[in-house]
Amino acid sequence: MEEQEQQSPRTSSGSGSGVISLRSLKLSDVDDFMAWAGDPDVAHFCRFEPYTSREAALAYIAGTVLPHPYFRAICVDGRPVGQVSVTRNESLADACRGELGYALASGYWGRGIATEAVRAAVAEAFSARPELERVEAIVDVENKASQRVLEKDGFRREGVLRKYQVLKGRTRDVVVFSRLSTDVDS
Amino acid sequence: MEGVDLSAVSLRPFRISDADDFLSFAGDDQVTRFMRWNTLASREEALATIRDVCMPHPWRRAVCVGDRCVGFVSIWPGSGDDRCRADIGYGVAREWWGKGVATRALRMTLSQVFGDLPDVLRIQAFVGADNKASQRVLEKAGFTRDGLLRKYAYLKGTLQDLYLYSFLSTDVVPAAAD
Repeated sequence: MEEQEQQSPRTSSGSGSGVISLRSLKLSDVDDFMAWAGDPDVAHFCRFEPYTSREAALAYIAGTVLPHPYFRAICVDGRPVGQVSVTRNESLADACRGELGYALASGYWGRGIATEAVRAAVAEAFSARPELERVEAIVDVENKASQRVLEKDGFRREGVLRKYQVLKGRTRDVVVFSRLSTDVDS
Repeated sequence: MEGVDLSAVSLRPFRISDADDFLSFAGDDQVTRFMRWNTLASREEALATIRDVCMPHPWRRAVCVGDRCVGFVSIWPGSGDDRCRADIGYGVAREWWGKGVATRALRMTLSQVFGDLPDVLRIQAFVGADNKASQRVLEKAGFTRDGLLRKYAYLKGTLQDLYLYSFLSTDVVPAAAD
């Protein structure tokens, strides 16, 4: 049933918990998708409410994921356990900039998987999009785990933006991080 | 050089009759240099901009000294999850630089705009890293510098590092120095 498709380069997890890879997320991945997208712990700092129906998840995959300029499933041993994406701005003045987003099923937290997957995804996005100069991430001030992922991946913390956005009805402070195509890992 | 009686500075909506004054600063490359606007080239363009952009705008004001329009302040609120924040932009005619007009106009804006746009809790300004004059105006008007956003956007063909400044509805507008 699985199609053999061109896969993104594989990375390996330093903690030996399986081979991490990135690939397109498909409609047939909907049940795996629900495992993280339906989890309130995962959705806590995300803009979406946890998905409660397969239909809503299929609509999201069809309407947002499939046409997205860069959206990948994070896979462990070939099985989707999360997602990572980088937006694209259509206006010429803003095309140099893309916003990173990612989520990982809670059973896979704490093993360096997000760190590895985000590093690979950012490299891929820069490689595929020559006009992309800056990948930025907007992270809730309380989301320490996500801030650690970005710091480990060589993102620079640029500042705290007070009352930047509304998350599920509450106004939140956020931290903005960025990595440039010219940044070099130290 | 004479100082300005800053009590003569006021904010009001744009009028079609502001077209010539508008052209005199919006048609000046030195004023539009750090803005996304293209420099206006004719009275017709000035009229069209006032009619099509300034007047229907969510919050744009003419900055006046006496009854003469010498600049503008614009507030662009976000929508949806971004509705708590708004971007500010402003410009003042070159002959009114260095007299406290822009600072006064920003302080007046900050005193009014949160009442006019109740969803907005944060006003923010993106400023070129080399635009020292505008950075000083924002700081004197009470904005906080949040950080430097590297290679954030193109401005007239050049990739820019931009400072982001903010002022919250709960922040205090500094008292005028004079």
